Amino acid sequence: MSKIMKTRILAFLFILISTSVFGGEPFISQPQGDPWTQQQLLDPAELARVLKNPKLPQPLVFSIGMEAVIKGSIEIGPVMRSQSLNLLKEKLTKLTKNAQIVVYCGCCPFASCPNVRPAMALLKSMQFTNYKLLNLPQNIKVDWIDKDYPMND
Amino acid sequence: MKILILIAVLIFGSSAIHPVEAQSNIIEVGNKSPEIKLPSLKGDTIALSSLKGKLVLIDFWATWCAPCVNEQKELADLYRKYKHADFTNGKGFEIYGVSLDAKKPNWETFIVTNKINWIQVSDLKFWRSPVAKTYNIQELPYNLLVDGKGMIVAKNLHGADLDNGIAKFLLK
Repeated sequence: MSKIMKTRILAFLFILISTSVFGGEPFISQPQGDPWTQQQLLDPAELARVLKNPKLPQPLVFSIGMEAVIKGSIEIGPVMRSQSLNLLKEKLTKLTKNAQIVVYCGCCPFASCPNVRPAMALLKSMQFTNYKLLNLPQNIKVDWIDKDYPMND
Repeated sequence: MKILILIAVLIFGSSAIHPVEAQSNIIEVGNKSPEIKLPSLKGDTIALSSLKGKLVLIDFWATWCAPCVNEQKELADLYRKYKHADFTNGKGFEIYGVSLDAKKPNWETFIVTNKINWIQVSDLKFWRSPVAKTYNIQELPYNLLVDGKGMIVAKNLHGADLDNGIAKFLLK
């Protein structure tokens, strides 16, 4: 069994366990596969460059994980939970379909992250045309904080 | 004046950076484990150094980390097995759980529901926790085994390796 498969099974078990641990708080069913293309992955260095230059068009950055670490990002909460996913949907409903949107979690690598797939699947289903997933291969510490990229206070 | 300020910034700026760099290089077997002082669920600060004399497993984890959550049951078994054991390098065994959670309710619910009975501390700062920087943590789960003198004796052991890593210090 490949390492990625093992990690996915672990992540699935985790969601099952969490459902019982967190007292039945509603969890969404995870989309199958990766609902994004290689072109939709945004390099953190590129986002940092844009955030540091207010003259450039600024994207709307949504934290769809545990904490809004990135400067100016909007905290939605972990969208593995239906309450947070509904909040994201509510925010997105107010935007035009070509709005520049970036989502990130950063808890862990994509293979074991329970939040990136629901967020990207939602953006796709709502037919947005200009959205990206921040490419944090390891986590928000290694790929953002340790590089001294802009952070919320 | 501007030049003086610039010189001051250069001097103090660089001296402020160096300790962090130095610290991040010392998390190795044979070196001393840096002090951690963080609040428990009740809010009282528990220092790692207060466990001096015992063999201690520092477990870095979070409720949002799937493999960490899965590992907690194994830690409960190890805690039960070794809590009162005597080791060549410590009397008794303790687990010092450091959570990188961001929200207290998640952390608290997990500990209470799973009846975790070893030490648990957190500053609830997620990956921004200064401890994650001091200990140069790259991913979770991550752990260190520290002897009674506070020296690191093993790094990031899991499963049977962790059990064996503790057992090898048992007093025969």
